[in-house]
Amino acid sequence: MAGAAPIPIGATGPASYRRKPGLVAWLVLAPLLIWLVLFIVIPTAMLVMVSFAERDSLGRVVYNFTFDNYLRAFDWVWLKVLIDSVWYAFLTTVICMAVGFPVAYFIGRAPVQWRGILLMLVMVPFWTSFLIRTYAWITILSRDGIVNGLLVASGIFAEPVTLLYTPFAIVLGLVYNFLPFMILPIYTSVERLDGAMIEAAYDLGAGPTRAFAQVIIPLTSPGITAGALLVFIPSIAMFAITTLMGGGANPTIGEVIFKQFTSGRNQPFGAALGTLLLVIFVVALWLTRRQREQD
Amino acid sequence: MKTKHTLMAALTALALVGCGKAPDPKAAEETPTKQAEATPALSMEAPKLSIFCWSEYIPQSVIDEFSQETGIAVSVENYASNEEMLAKLLAGGGSYDIIQPSEYVVGALIKEDLLMPIDHSKIPNLKNLDPRFVNMSFDPGNKFSVPFMAGSVGIVVNTEMVTEEIKSFSDVFQDKYAGKIVVLDDAREIVSWGLQSLGIPVNDVSDENLAKVKPVISKWLPLVKVYDSDSPKTALLNGDVTIGVVWGGEGAILLNADKKFKWVIPAEGTHLFVDSLAVPKTAKHPGNAQAFMDFILRPEISAKISEAFPYLNPNLAARALLTPEQLANAASFPTDEELAKMQTFEDIGQQASKVDEMVTSLKVQ
Repeated sequence: MAGAAPIPIGATGPASYRRKPGLVAWLVLAPLLIWLVLFIVIPTAMLVMVSFAERDSLGRVVYNFTFDNYLRAFDWVWLKVLIDSVWYAFLTTVICMAVGFPVAYFIGRAPVQWRGILLMLVMVPFWTSFLIRTYAWITILSRDGIVNGLLVASGIFAEPVTLLYTPFAIVLGLVYNFLPFMILPIYTSVERLDGAMIEAAYDLGAGPTRAFAQVIIPLTSPGITAGALLVFIPSIAMFAITTLMGGGANPTIGEVIFKQFTSGRNQPFGAALGTLLLVIFVVALWLTRRQREQD
Repeated sequence: MKTKHTLMAALTALALVGCGKAPDPKAAEETPTKQAEATPALSMEAPKLSIFCWSEYIPQSVIDEFSQETGIAVSVENYASNEEMLAKLLAGGGSYDIIQPSEYVVGALIKEDLLMPIDHSKIPNLKNLDPRFVNMSFDPGNKFSVPFMAGSVGIVVNTEMVTEEIKSFSDVFQDKYAGKIVVLDDAREIVSWGLQSLGIPVNDVSDENLAKVKPVISKWLPLVKVYDSDSPKTALLNGDVTIGVVWGGEGAILLNADKKFKWVIPAEGTHLFVDSLAVPKTAKHPGNAQAFMDFILRPEISAKISEAFPYLNPNLAARALLTPEQLANAASFPTDEELAKMQTFEDIGQQASKVDEMVTSLKVQ
């Protein structure tokens, strides 16, 4: 999430007038700058540094410069894992958008006194740890679980079906966990949406479809873009949900990196994979930002 | 205005949850100290002890009892894999007085000169140990380590779903059981099963032998439904799978839970793991650490640990205190004949990541 922070700073655009910040401004900024340096700049620099290092037999990092980790990273095995992870994250983002937009629109257009309560309902599941909620899904989806019980009892299926430990379960787990990250940014956009604009569209002869596609979507696009990034990026690297609900038979890139730092005893290789992932994120952010500036 | 406040609270909650992983439940717990009772032998050291051990392995009641008796304040930190422990220990992040490595990690730590020798005169209860678990190849003469618990890897079969008799690893990995198998998510373990099915010793992890094992495992892994080292019993209990290759302790819990589960030691032989207690070179309270080792080896204390976590107890005097039911659990206590066929792991150094890479690549094939 921290990766999204720089956007508003850079997005002020040419219209904003410039002047030299004074001492007070620097003092106000100082905590943020220190935080950025300590928890983002330094760790990232260390990650990149380790990615060019070697390791000894116990897994300790030895600082001899090498490109081997990157040469290994471009093996088909890891690329396939990465493509799978990107595909799961893409599916998750699309489904979250399809489900999240109507929900966010409904909440944003609801009477003011209802909005707080509706938003609270979106957030209620977050009051318990996501690990506990993921374990709950395991119970719900298992062969002897509630869903299978209902399906068999109602006669839809004769035999229980396999739901858990499949790609379906992985995407379900990701969607369930990241949906609020989509709803909240879209909600803020919808809340600011001027109703007069939509009325104007209707007055000028637009049908509901056209009003939606040419007025509502463009006006809420900042929220949609922010939501997509907030869902897509953590989904790629998430390993706890994919391991628990996917059963580990469809490893994701986050899981592979995690393994390199533990049982693989190969921190430099894990760091190289992590750095590559970081490069992908930076490129994705840069592309969306450029897109926004063009608009 | 109220809406904005709610939104802010919501976003704050998101920011906290969004970090990806919930905090480890390892919260270092300090147990109250009773200074007055400190024994003279330990007076050179501050009455403190920092234990770095596996989660779900040393009952809190045992630690509390040690604190009350000796007046030593104990702090506990947990880990979930040997490698996690190694990473933290080698990074020098914390100062630990006692660690709990498995046999091959003890060997590696001795080789790297990272353990402190222990003084047998301070641990008289060493006499309680089964001779088969002392003087083992990873630490000849037990100069550096004391066995805590042992156990095997074996096969659990749900006999309601699988009527055929399962005797070996090759019986498990048959096409008809595709999608019905849970195995430990541990590359070294999986490779060792392949090695054993070919009759190769588990520690001969040369490039040549890995090449021989690869075709075997590449047939096995597509049949596996779930990889889980933490709680493989869950998938078996839920009915999602019918056969599992799991830790002995997990197997023992399944046998206690339902009569339909059967425990099988693979005919090819299997891995005998020996989790030990050892004192790192960097320990600040080695005297207290050895007092704790001796305490753990007391028969009544060791029996208490067995009750909570039903692994293979290497303490003969403690085994005499266990109930016949506990001793009859096939997953906790293998027969002498089965035990003779088991092998312990030795450190394989850099080959570890080749093993990991091979298994990962076969998972995604």
